[in-house]
Amino acid sequence: MAGRVFVTGIGIICAIGKNTGETLASLKACRHGIGKITVLDTVHRDELPAGEIKLTNTELAALAGVTDIDMNPRTALLGMIAAAEALQNAGIDPKDNRFRTGVISASTVGGMDKTEINYRHYEKGKPYNNFVLTHDCSYSTEQIAARLGFRDMVSTVSTACSSSANSIMFGARLIHHGLLDRVLAGGSDSLSKFTLNGFNALMILDKHHCRPFDKSRTGLNLGEGAAFLVLESEEALGSRTPLCELTGYANANDAYHQTASSPDGYGPFLSMSDALQTASKNIPGFNLRDISYINAHGTGTDNNDLTEGIAIGRIFGDAIPPVSSTKPFTGHTLGAAAAVEAVISILSIRHNTIFPNLNFNEKIEELKFEPVREMITGVTLKHVLSNSFGFGGNDSTLIFSAC
Amino acid sequence: MTPQILNESLKRQQRMELIEKLKLEIIEVLNLEDIKPEDIDADAPLFGEGLGLDSIDALELIVLLEKNYGIKIEDPKEGRKIFASVRTMADYILEHQKK
Repeated sequence: MAGRVFVTGIGIICAIGKNTGETLASLKACRHGIGKITVLDTVHRDELPAGEIKLTNTELAALAGVTDIDMNPRTALLGMIAAAEALQNAGIDPKDNRFRTGVISASTVGGMDKTEINYRHYEKGKPYNNFVLTHDCSYSTEQIAARLGFRDMVSTVSTACSSSANSIMFGARLIHHGLLDRVLAGGSDSLSKFTLNGFNALMILDKHHCRPFDKSRTGLNLGEGAAFLVLESEEALGSRTPLCELTGYANANDAYHQTASSPDGYGPFLSMSDALQTASKNIPGFNLRDISYINAHGTGTDNNDLTEGIAIGRIFGDAIPPVSSTKPFTGHTLGAAAAVEAVISILSIRHNTIFPNLNFNEKIEELKFEPVREMITGVTLKHVLSNSFGFGGNDSTLIFSAC
Repeated sequence: MTPQILNESLKRQQRMELIEKLKLEIIEVLNLEDIKPEDIDADAPLFGEGLGLDSIDALELIVLLEKNYGIKIEDPKEGRKIFASVRTMADYILEHQKK
């Protein structure tokens, strides 16, 4: 079949691990990463828990193999670490230039951390005003691409919490249509005062550990992290064995509200329907029943979990596959969330495990299902559907299939 | 013709036109590349034998009804009855379409 897109490498850094091995170990041990903020300098440190990576920028720079922390925002450092791991996991030598290779990264804050520290001293001139150069989200992508040495195409997606689903989808479409052979696609977002204060103002942060799909849920916990997938065409793949295939993807918008989903979850309904339709074109005989697991967006906010649940019910009716949100492990990593959950979905496929939806107690009355409470092991997952929905009604769904 | 008969005949015409329009829309959204509108029997089952559509196609028909006709189907099971044939689809649309 022409235009297939394979995943050959994954890389991740988040609150539960600074690489794939550590992240998998935490997931298997049900060890979450939500706790007191200690690295970010914020007045909310005692009040708002988050999924923070307990490493300073200097420590991250050492992991990323760079020395300049002034011109590398935290978002860029996290991205370099995850992208380098993905590349290594795929067994790709960055110097191998036989294939056209792109870097598509997603972010919502970019270099906001530098801006927050330095903007008051702008008039002092250099180096205090260098942050202006690092502020834009695309700057972090360019730093990641430069560190790895790929330049056939470098692009940045910023569509709120669906950002990295859209960067993965964009990368997949470039390969599908023969414009690139390999794409390092994912996203990176660091915690910042900007996001913490912004979400706090929206009153959708839980002051305790978040409880997605629970009747008593009161909001989300923010997180930070980066994750990347190496996507490759069949030709670039050659005789190597892929981790899985990206068979379905779609983006939709319910054009309803700046931050809320429409009450009937029309956007999520459309993104899931359209992704399933893509998958049915790629997989002969594909049926709704073939979806073995849904990694939900499941932020823990009143609006998201209800509307996502309604949309899932509308699509799957009485035969809803196991559903879990893994955000209680990592926090909501915003622009990186879809890539983080893509990695977790792929780990689920590769390790025959469905990771549980932590902190669930009581079902939402309006919904027909409750999420997975306990870890499910030894299960064969053929196709995993992963949702990521963003502000502005920007909704995306990815489907990963076992090879 | 009496007004009542005229009305009936208008309705029949509207229904026939809708059936033809639906055939085109179904072919488009489901990418039925080798099928022409005249190949689809308005009374033949869409699922199973007939056109042999599957559960993902049913989902696309639900999306079609919502996008093109403003009709929302909450329960996928309900869809099975509505999508029995092109004619049942047309009847359902005529009955539920917002004026």
